Amino acid sequence: MAAHNAFDPRSGSARSGRFDHSPQDSSHHSQSPGQGVDSHFDSALNELAPPRAWQSSRWMGWRLRLLVLLTLLGCIGVFALTSVVIGMRHVDAMWHVNPQGQIELGDSNEPALKAHRGHVLVGVSAGNDPRIWPVDPLALKRSARWVIDDVMRAHQRELHAGLATAFARPLVKFHFADGVVVSVEPQPHALVGLPVIYWFLLGVALALYMLAVIVLLSRPSVRNVAYLVMAWCQAGNLVFIAVESTLELGLPDEFLALDMPVRMAFDLITAAAMVNATCLHPRRLPGSGWIALAAWAAALGPVVLLSMQRLPHAWWWAQCSVAALGLLAIALLSWSYHLERHPYAIVLRRFGIVTVSTWSLLTLALGVSSNLPGMPHNIADVGSMIWYVFLASLLLLVPFLARSQTFMREFSLLAAISTVATSLDLLFVAVFSLGQFASLTLSLFVSLAVYSGARQWILNQLLGSSVLTTERMFEQLYRIAREVEAQPERTPALLSQLLRDLFDPLEVNLVERETAKTRVATDGSSLLVPLPALTPSAAPDAALPASVMIRFAHRGRRLFTSDDARLTDRIVEQLRRAVHFDRAVEQGRSEERLRLAQDLHDDIGARLLTLMYKAQSPEMEDYVRHTLQDLKTLTRGLAASNHRLSHAAAEWKADLAQRLTAAHVELKWSFNFDEDILLSVVQWSALTRVMRELVSNAIAHAQAQQLEIDFTFANDRIELVISDDGVGREPRLWSHGLGLGGVRKRVKQLGGQVEWREVVPHGICCRVVIRNISAAHG
Amino acid sequence: MPVKVLIVEDNPVARSFLSRVVRESFSDALMVTEAGDLESARRQIEVSRTGPSAGEPFKLILVDLELPDGNGMELLAELGQYPATKIVTTLYSDDDHLFPALQCGADGYLLKEDRFEVLVEELQKIVRGQPPLSPAIARRLLTHFRHGPPGPGGPNSGAMPLVSGLQTSRPVVTGRGAPLDHERLTPRESEVLTYLSKGFTIKEIASLMGIKWFTVNDHIKSIYKKLNVSSRAEAAVLASKQGLV
Repeated sequence: MAAHNAFDPRSGSARSGRFDHSPQDSSHHSQSPGQGVDSHFDSALNELAPPRAWQSSRWMGWRLRLLVLLTLLGCIGVFALTSVVIGMRHVDAMWHVNPQGQIELGDSNEPALKAHRGHVLVGVSAGNDPRIWPVDPLALKRSARWVIDDVMRAHQRELHAGLATAFARPLVKFHFADGVVVSVEPQPHALVGLPVIYWFLLGVALALYMLAVIVLLSRPSVRNVAYLVMAWCQAGNLVFIAVESTLELGLPDEFLALDMPVRMAFDLITAAAMVNATCLHPRRLPGSGWIALAAWAAALGPVVLLSMQRLPHAWWWAQCSVAALGLLAIALLSWSYHLERHPYAIVLRRFGIVTVSTWSLLTLALGVSSNLPGMPHNIADVGSMIWYVFLASLLLLVPFLARSQTFMREFSLLAAISTVATSLDLLFVAVFSLGQFASLTLSLFVSLAVYSGARQWILNQLLGSSVLTTERMFEQLYRIAREVEAQPERTPALLSQLLRDLFDPLEVNLVERETAKTRVATDGSSLLVPLPALTPSAAPDAALPASVMIRFAHRGRRLFTSDDARLTDRIVEQLRRAVHFDRAVEQGRSEERLRLAQDLHDDIGARLLTLMYKAQSPEMEDYVRHTLQDLKTLTRGLAASNHRLSHAAAEWKADLAQRLTAAHVELKWSFNFDEDILLSVVQWSALTRVMRELVSNAIAHAQAQQLEIDFTFANDRIELVISDDGVGREPRLWSHGLGLGGVRKRVKQLGGQVEWREVVPHGICCRVVIRNISAAHG
Repeated sequence: MPVKVLIVEDNPVARSFLSRVVRESFSDALMVTEAGDLESARRQIEVSRTGPSAGEPFKLILVDLELPDGNGMELLAELGQYPATKIVTTLYSDDDHLFPALQCGADGYLLKEDRFEVLVEELQKIVRGQPPLSPAIARRLLTHFRHGPPGPGGPNSGAMPLVSGLQTSRPVVTGRGAPLDHERLTPRESEVLTYLSKGFTIKEIASLMGIKWFTVNDHIKSIYKKLNVSSRAEAAVLASKQGLV
């Protein structure tokens, strides 16, 4: 279980390439995400592990040779085993146990036996040997490991030994209950005659064996040794089951004698290695040495005792020890997660819980049903076999947790469900005394219902699920795109926010490490996302963080997978597109506005100018001039996006001062503001025109000597007071011509109020109040 | 000898109007030449230089920005060394249009929609050396001088610690030849600019700074010159970089 980060499957397609002497190889190694040092999570995570001494080519060559050697050994082993299996003579017949606890002939390809289908077998004898070896259902039980009772196990061994002796002779006689004796000549297996299950199990065992070797060789460490031990033990279990699957009756004695102690040792050692691995990974636990030592003692004790024939109830010892060690491993993983919220701990704990609970269920089912007569031994065998396949699939899956391995995941899930199904089947038969068929159907139904109904939930529980709904994500994406467009310098923060919402990680860091594309780092606990250049203006700057590193997805309950990396890449791409699109739209709009403004200004402006020069009267000339100025304000508003209040005020002042000076009116200007806000185009142009109109009014009609303008912006409220000392009176009686009507209209447009009143001793004061300036903005 | 004036303006009505403004502004005997586009303006200038009646150059040139065959700024740029008072006459009063024109060497600008009297006064002021400076342009000038013209800083960096009012510690690189102080404003000049950018009038600035109004005007003139010089130096640097010089 500790091997996950040792093997980078991206190089798996070229396994040998990983071990060759090519110069790229070392660089590949230094970039491998698995090179992160787990124990230095907090400090060194963001830095690549320095090249190690063992990455020298000599070491690589040594490892390569060892790998080739071990591969060769594995293959030779498979061939040797197969040749031995082929050499074992057998009679091609299917036997099963009837409800009365007797052995019945199911089917046979032997012509002599075919006629006796459904007949009960009582004994077997060999050639001229007068001894008849009586048979009972235990003879069909293949594995001594899964015979519960010690006495029964000894009996089974005797039975098989006798049968094996008989099958070793040239001629075997089958004695049926009805007195018929059939003589058959045992044949060696044909190569193609070996059952499919044999090849399947052997294949899985070989894969496990090879994977463990590669994992260890690519990154030698104690925890990878533990992984190797577990994998090899389980491969051994599978080999035993594979061999046993080839023979119906009469397993060789030496094989059966080994079966119980060796397989029990395999199971216990696996459990101890699991505890050892969880002590070291995902983090080294305090007192890990002592815990591991205790686990090994607890595992090896029963094995030693059994080999000395001093262990009563050996099966129960084995089962309970394994379950206890499994529980210990789960507890250690919980502790580890408590110490550091590494998602690996939680994923492994989920695996551990499933494994231990199915193991316990199987144990319980077998224990309960063992004493019942006519128990379907086949089912017991199948149940345990499926459990081993399940464990093997889990072990195969563990190194690839951070990559999405859908197939393996589904497979192990199916295996787990099958274990549950067979266990339930046994339990139903044993506890509820259901018929075999009924119980099988029921348990299959239950399991299938669980599988189909809870599959997604289980998968999510195993590997966690995404937090963000698609809808919310799109919303986020476009919101962020707009913000990035407005403030490119906030891109890292916004992207971090998006990733935070997407994966709900414990940590989000900006790091300076460059990465070409999003990738999973440090065995799935981290995801490294390159910061995209969303805006062209953002020049590549060495001081800027280059990537976002998020760690511990789903608040440390989930591992990142390559799916997540792909998803992130796609989202970033979408974000980039959204920003581009936004910018293109905005650019198009502003270009269009600019063009419009230019056209208006150039064409209409030039004509108005001509008109103004040709004006017949000063009034007409002034009228056209005002129109021209309004046009200029309009086009400027079109061209510019917004105006800072202080800048606008400066221009108002300069403009008005010039006009009033020309008209020999004194200006008293006062401008106060508590915040230099940005005025929108509408606000700017409206205020500009209001002010110009009021000043024109004062110049033209009031015959004022002095004009006082008081502009205040405070608490999001504009107050503009323009008072003159002219001859104007009775503002109520004024005819609201074009000028004053325009002022009212613009003030109303801004959501404000305007009022005129007389001032003492003479003159008019106009007061404009506009509230909620920033709310109306944009 | 009459004073020679060139008016480059495509609108005939505006041309005659500007001609009236010019005649009204000065009491000297004037010889006003009008041109409707850049090409004829160039021809007129060429004639004044090399033609049979050569000798006397134009003293005053009014250039419209939008001309049928190009932008008036091109002409301004070409006339960099021409010893005339160059004035931009335009409808555009925003800094986006005016600032580049000033950079190209204009000595001032007139807004064509202003009243006749206002234009006369403004024109007289410019010729007297009191160019206008709107708040927006003052703001542009401030940022221009604060950040320096765009481009590599090398030869542009001044070596005048005395006048480093805005830039305190830039690496001093003495380029080829004389120290280039065109890039820096004196503290007084930047003060004037800051007031202008806030909309204060010359009079107000004079009283705020406790100086005479014509001193304020001198500062503005100097700022104009520095902008012009810095732009020319910038162009020279650019040209030498491109291997044109």
